[in-house]
Amino acid sequence: MSVGLTHYLLLAAVLFAIGLYGVLSRRNIIAILMGVELMLNAVNINFIAFNRFLPVSDLTGQLMSVFAITVGVAEVAIGIALAFRIYNDRETVNVDELNNMKG
Amino acid sequence: MSDLASTIVFYVLALIIIGTALGVVTSKRLVHSALLMTACFVAVGILYISLDADFLGAMQFMLYSGGVAILIVMGVMLTHKGENLPSNPVNSKSTRAGIVAAVFVVVMGAVITMLPLPQGSFVSPDTVSGLADMMLSTYILPFEIAAVLLLSALLGAIILAKGDGEA
Repeated sequence: MSVGLTHYLLLAAVLFAIGLYGVLSRRNIIAILMGVELMLNAVNINFIAFNRFLPVSDLTGQLMSVFAITVGVAEVAIGIALAFRIYNDRETVNVDELNNMKG
Repeated sequence: MSDLASTIVFYVLALIIIGTALGVVTSKRLVHSALLMTACFVAVGILYISLDADFLGAMQFMLYSGGVAILIVMGVMLTHKGENLPSNPVNSKSTRAGIVAAVFVVVMGAVITMLPLPQGSFVSPDTVSGLADMMLSTYILPFEIAAVLLLSALLGAIILAKGDGEA
């Protein structure tokens, strides 16, 4: 049986769910960022698989994934800068301890 | 590529991607997570190439398995206290997080397998010039906005990391 669109979509859904679990279950900011990166990769797999297997006539899906990669990389740079900043100010990157605004 | 070969390539890559991704979210040490994440990005890049998106594969290798991986490893090292505590603890909500992720997989799996998807096949002979033509004609506005986004992200990251006084 040949590999089609459904296989790629299922793989991307599983990868997205793993990233979601990472974001929700970790305490370290850097580990949460890794989960976000996994989710972004799952989205890009979807874009490229749609571009390959749907009846389209140009590379719009791949171009959208170029823009998604751009935004994702900018996001990780800002995220790491925020993590440095928080670590400098509070000496921790554990999100459970960052509860200054808790009422 | 023949049918059997592409099937084998897909399943091997899917196994590597899911295995390394599970390692990323379950590993006790943050450095191990970062290394497994790099392996996951490399496998995703090979998957792009097997989907006839060779430029995206090259971008994935350069940006994710090169740039993002190095940024994350630097982040791990610079925010590490050097204690003997596990560097990557789970929080008290991890069971509920697992339930949410499992529900997501079940719902999305049901939707994907039941949805009637139109079948087609599109392979561009030259993805680089195809993408470049679209980027500089129809999609010129998003392209320029991406440039502004990158500039502001660069400045924002420097100011955030260095602080008001030093920057």
